[in-house]
Amino acid sequence: MDAVVGESQITYDARGLVEVDDTVLGVAVVKDGKATIDASELTTRKINLEIRSLVYEQGIEDVTVLNPGGKHSLGVGILTRCKMTFEGSLGYFALGVIDGPEVVVNGRVGWSACENMMAGVVVINGNAGSLTGAAIRGGDLVIKGRVGARTGIDQKGGTIIISGDAGSNTGFMMQRGRQLLLGDVGPHLGDSMYDGTIYVAGKVKSLGADCVPGEMTDEDLEFVTRKMAFYDLGTPPELQKFVCGKKLYNYDNLEPSERKLVL
Amino acid sequence: MSNDHSVSNPRKDPEKIISIDSEYLTGKRFAYQEEISEIDGIDLQESTPGGDINWLEDITMLEEDGTPAVFDRYSNSFLKIYYDIPAGREDEIARKVLIKHLQSGNSYGTVLKERYAKFAQPELGPWVKGSKTVGDNYVPPVLEGWEAPEGH
Repeated sequence: MDAVVGESQITYDARGLVEVDDTVLGVAVVKDGKATIDASELTTRKINLEIRSLVYEQGIEDVTVLNPGGKHSLGVGILTRCKMTFEGSLGYFALGVIDGPEVVVNGRVGWSACENMMAGVVVINGNAGSLTGAAIRGGDLVIKGRVGARTGIDQKGGTIIISGDAGSNTGFMMQRGRQLLLGDVGPHLGDSMYDGTIYVAGKVKSLGADCVPGEMTDEDLEFVTRKMAFYDLGTPPELQKFVCGKKLYNYDNLEPSERKLVL
Repeated sequence: MSNDHSVSNPRKDPEKIISIDSEYLTGKRFAYQEEISEIDGIDLQESTPGGDINWLEDITMLEEDGTPAVFDRYSNSFLKIYYDIPAGREDEIARKVLIKHLQSGNSYGTVLKERYAKFAQPELGPWVKGSKTVGDNYVPPVLEGWEAPEGH
């Protein structure tokens, strides 16, 4: 199967951590153009191979994964437009490096969900661990629950929306993009951020270095209203806006090649 | 990489490059960089996931070497735009030019996929439905005289 031929190079695993068999089991049930995978008896690699085979090779645009069982690294590296639904909780590094999918997770996710996401929409109907949306570059990541520390660390674009409380160092080293935090936020919000915008509805324990209050504009309100409507989060509450004070870091001081890394 | 791309790109490696642009990487300038009508058919909302323009929210009109330009994150380079930009449409045009560039398969990052992608993936990613699969025949280079350790 073309979608997985490239993986046949993985033939050896001294530590027993890798599923070396790259056979696509073809266990998905396809009906009316939609596929359902029961993941209860499958390894992480088998699940991901099945998903890729469906969306890359078979032209399926809607995949549901049942019983994901908190397995790690599910749904990673999907680089096409499709819909995915996970009926259950996922482990760490779920949905990393995706570009285009629209995903719903009916459960919780572990740390580093959606790290390096390029485009798409991910809605988590539950809580998420630390490092949610690490280095995200685009798309919408919506957590309808609480999150741990360092949400959006190194964020380079996109929008992260948290309906519950967020932990410490949220927006740490943020470089672009937007965060909409509808609950309370822990200490060191926006620590060492270069750029980007953080909106907070609840209480902020403390601000990090060079994170300063900003002034809400009509554009900010239009953006927040639009996103909250998309994700059934009601009407915008009164928000505080935070931006970079530009005293610690400044794009103008960067080498051109460094500047490109954060565009 | 060849040192002789075109007259408009006279740089010689290993000269330090501080302004990487698409034309330098591909050796080409595309019609949609010179003619605004080339982007007429682009529907931004249709071209992106979700209910709005999604990741394009972060794409704005920038400037490189004094010329309006949009940044292509898939090749880490600027795509310059040479026509007059109507006032108030800067970001819209930047986004449409970038989407046209990606859908046409002209981004240098896309060009590299055919030869270097290590895992199977759609060549045109999420921008064009049903594009061919690349990366399914990658063979890692092997040093002459190298032997795999026992067990491989």
